[in-house]
Amino acid sequence: MDRLASVLFAVLRGLVQAACIVALTFFLCRVMPGDVVDVLGLEGGLTADQQVEMRRALGLDQPLLSQFVTWVSHALQGDFGRSLRFDQPVSDMLANALPVTLRFAFLSFAFGVGLALLLAIAATAFRSRWLDGLIDGINIWSIAVPTFCAGFAAILIFSIWLGWLPVIGGLLMPVIIIGLDNAGQIVKSLREELKEAVMLPHVRTARAKGLSPWRIAIAHVLPAAAPIMLALSGLALGGLVAGSLTMEVLFALPGIGSLTLNAIHGRDYPIILAAVTVIAVALVLINTVIDILHRLIDPRLA
Amino acid sequence: MSAPPIAVSAPRSAGRRWPVGVLLATVAVAIVALAGLVAPWLTANSPLDQDLLAINKGPSADYWLGTDHLGRDIWARLLYGARFTFGISIAGTAIAFAIGAGLGLFALALGRWSEATLYAGIDLIRALPGTLLALLLIVGLGSGTGPLIVALGISFAPLVAYVARAAFHREAVRDYVHAATSFSGGRIHVLVRHILPNIVGALVTQAAIILPRCIVTESVLSFLGVGSSPDAPTWGRMIADSSRFIERAPHAIVIPVLALVVLTLSLSVLGNDLRRWLDPVRENAGEAAEPAEIDPQLAMPR
Amino acid sequence: MIGKLLEIRDLDVIIHGRKLVDSISFALAPGETVALIGESGSGKSMTASAIMGLLPPGITMAARSAIVFDGKPLDPADETAMRPLRGRDISVVFQDPMSCLNPFMTAGAQIDEALRRLGHGDGTKRRARILELLQLVEMSDPATIASRYPHELSGGQQQRVMTAMALAAEPKLLIADEPTSALDATVQAEILALLRRLQDRLGNAMLFITHDLAAASQLADQIVVMHKGRCVEQGPTAEVLLSPKDPYTRMLVSTRTMLAELPATAPRSSAEPLLAISGLQYEYPAKRLFSKPFRAVDGISIAIAPGETLGILGESGSGKSTLAKLIIGLARPGGGDIALFGESLAARNFRLTPAMRKRCQIIFQNPYGALNPRLTIEKAMREPLELLGLSGPDDRAKLGSALADVNLTPDYLGRYPHQLSGGQRQRVCIARALLSEPSLLICDEIVSALDATVQMQVLRTLKALQQKRGFAMLFIGHDIEIVRWVSDRIAVMHRGKVVEQGEAGALVTHPVEAYTRKLVAAMPRPIA
Repeated sequence: MDRLASVLFAVLRGLVQAACIVALTFFLCRVMPGDVVDVLGLEGGLTADQQVEMRRALGLDQPLLSQFVTWVSHALQGDFGRSLRFDQPVSDMLANALPVTLRFAFLSFAFGVGLALLLAIAATAFRSRWLDGLIDGINIWSIAVPTFCAGFAAILIFSIWLGWLPVIGGLLMPVIIIGLDNAGQIVKSLREELKEAVMLPHVRTARAKGLSPWRIAIAHVLPAAAPIMLALSGLALGGLVAGSLTMEVLFALPGIGSLTLNAIHGRDYPIILAAVTVIAVALVLINTVIDILHRLIDPRLA
Repeated sequence: MSAPPIAVSAPRSAGRRWPVGVLLATVAVAIVALAGLVAPWLTANSPLDQDLLAINKGPSADYWLGTDHLGRDIWARLLYGARFTFGISIAGTAIAFAIGAGLGLFALALGRWSEATLYAGIDLIRALPGTLLALLLIVGLGSGTGPLIVALGISFAPLVAYVARAAFHREAVRDYVHAATSFSGGRIHVLVRHILPNIVGALVTQAAIILPRCIVTESVLSFLGVGSSPDAPTWGRMIADSSRFIERAPHAIVIPVLALVVLTLSLSVLGNDLRRWLDPVRENAGEAAEPAEIDPQLAMPR
Repeated sequence: MIGKLLEIRDLDVIIHGRKLVDSISFALAPGETVALIGESGSGKSMTASAIMGLLPPGITMAARSAIVFDGKPLDPADETAMRPLRGRDISVVFQDPMSCLNPFMTAGAQIDEALRRLGHGDGTKRRARILELLQLVEMSDPATIASRYPHELSGGQQQRVMTAMALAAEPKLLIADEPTSALDATVQAEILALLRRLQDRLGNAMLFITHDLAAASQLADQIVVMHKGRCVEQGPTAEVLLSPKDPYTRMLVSTRTMLAELPATAPRSSAEPLLAISGLQYEYPAKRLFSKPFRAVDGISIAIAPGETLGILGESGSGKSTLAKLIIGLARPGGGDIALFGESLAARNFRLTPAMRKRCQIIFQNPYGALNPRLTIEKAMREPLELLGLSGPDDRAKLGSALADVNLTPDYLGRYPHQLSGGQRQRVCIARALLSEPSLLICDEIVSALDATVQMQVLRTLKALQQKRGFAMLFIGHDIEIVRWVSDRIAVMHRGKVVEQGEAGALVTHPVEAYTRKLVAAMPRPIA
């Protein structure tokens, strides 16, 4: 019962989080100087009357709060409105962009977290200075080198000078760059955590029982480090969002990131709103799953 | 009865060496800071003047590091860029610090309810990655150097606030706080005399860690087209401006990328080193009576 | 040496060229019990780790040293050679069973793991053996215990599970590394008796590592006394304890015998009590949503007369430290009243006035936490002077004489807390608390973080000061002998309630309540 309650609490908190982010985005979009009508007015030479007419048609003359309520009630039915610049339903554009981003994000996440786990576990198991050095290196790399700089370097070296890979469209380079960045952000804490975990009293008990190193690692060390591993994986997700933005622009991937950015430049706020909503819901969803997993793994939290 | 021999543990600063990495990093940061300060003496050219007769040119006597796609002097832009890069990120970090530590400590000092309210608010937007939050804030605040700094500050403020809370909680449950209370010391006395001196190290360290991340985030925002304004070109903006000419003028990208990476790398090395100086893991910290068991707000003077 | 199970010759344990254990030699016959006695930092646990081959990384055994087990030399650094022995021929029960059991596995699964490693048949056979082992360690409901996670078991139950696990293979040698130090007194006595009975039944030899002379005297045939890594004395238990030859052993033994000679008591007046607590209640708020608040103090009534020492005796979780916090206003009671110096605190919302603070001071358990690491001793001691308005031109002289009262020289004023030992820090805390010349001193477990020899030095200093100054004390502790030694009267706390109170001597010799009787029964007998 207690366990169920705590899971429900985690879900509820996730929902409130997502709602707050969506509301924040909505109001930020509305306070931004110059709306889409102004932008179109400058570009296409709409007359003042046409502008007023367009605002009325879009509901922009309504009070902010009622605009928000209208938007939410539509969004809950899957209707995110129409793009102001492309005259397409936003949901269609999202549906086209989502698979690109999901594939990219999943591959980068798997590569990054996998690499981090592998390195941290190997460094702990073999107590290798060389691997610890590598971990420090990747960590500093991820802090100091912006991903888009790494992207430029990769394009310059592999595509332009060596002529190996296509500059745009391919997933290999962006996945490696973002994966490395992700790994670097979490691998050091992971290594520290494992280093502490092997010194835990209950791991010493396991050794005193004469268990094999494998058994000790799988049944005693890894479970102790699992909560932190989960938390760190959640942290890596944040890096993924920023990564999607830069990599999709740099490598011309038609995903959520490029969609959002184009929308920001064009003041195409239905798309901004919808894209941020999708990102926020996805992040909150995954964080909630991580939270729940944590509660399920650790019997002390039940 | 004679006093037992004194157990003197070596002072932390004794026998400290200056590792080569820290030395190099200090030199690099000093050079960049100096270059930014005395930029007008190191070049006669303006970072903004366009020489349309010399576009995407390599190094020459007139333009030591060549020109970019608008014929602007890269050497001059690099020097002034140091000023803007440093200035914007230091200002952003300062705002993050002022909001995060200032507001955080204020809420913590006021008591349980203000703490709960503030941190619940921060928790709600925690799911939003910093870069995306900064992006949205710029959408709302408009572009320009001022909004950029504020957006950077706000997006990093939660990190400082979390560190402030953790440090505050760690200190508030210590027995010397109880002792001060029992000498009828009030909240202000406890905060100023006991808690602040013991957490200032952790906060300064966090600021030092945020500074390079601020530089990186600014460059990412510039790359995404919402960073520094054209009249205040940062290194990130230089990279972003030249990105479309990567094949014809690679030097226009490679030079600022290298400068940026060297700076962020050096700053992270210094930040890590600062942690060892200012925020060492307290000896015998483990002997405190399980801080997790005590409610820190309960432990503060009423 | 034929017939020896374990023989240790010239054992040196080294870290960075420094000897943590220095030339230790002793031997253990099959079925025999040897106690390694020492205070913290004496190297006794390192010796045990060396035997098990569980030395932490970076710590090694010297080449000249030899550990011979069952006729074969052991190399602690050789993991592949050591592993088959562990849990089969040599087993260990550690201190602090809570952290030594895996929090993610049930008790049964952890014993099962040991059995599987021993190649102990199929699932049903192992299941039967788990229940048998839990019965062996005298658990009443083995099936339920086996299905529990460690955090769902009490400290005593956890240590029984550890013991069952260690005995799974009926080892020839059981190392018990401070097996009872983390447990309450009553549980300690049970576990010690259990280890003794198990040994009678299984015939294993035991290496018993402890800081507690009384416990050693109950279990051991031979005693090895260690001090700063060296063996200062060894021999048959009775001989070492009754006629110790080495000065350090003599000091250790005398700290126990000292408890038998009570200090002179200060004159007590029958005037109005300094502190009168009636029906006091306190609940810790629920930690998580949907859980119940925990009632730590449940209707306590006690009183202290001027000059009197009232001992509060209780095990962990009895609410005794919460009581101290309530009295000095670190927490607000949920009900009841405290009358301090004749004034009701409930009437003033449990806020103490500076005048009250001046007359009522507190000393805490952990001397490492009670002094701010960034302040010198002088600054730390000036704090009460300034806050309580006692500051004057002769401050430095005042601090110097306060330190002299606790046997410290004035040059300690310039030092930082980390330059002082635990005992010295606690002396500074005593001196600081007495600066305002309080008439009531609350001592919250003030010696439990210290070694036995240091404990007695600190207590003697405190008692002498009380004799001189005549302040009253509320002395909170868990060690019945120490509380008895310090106090005039004792109140026994259990689960937030005072179950019995009375004159210290009478309470210890003729306890009335069942719980007090259990505490007294668990009290270590006079040694040897």
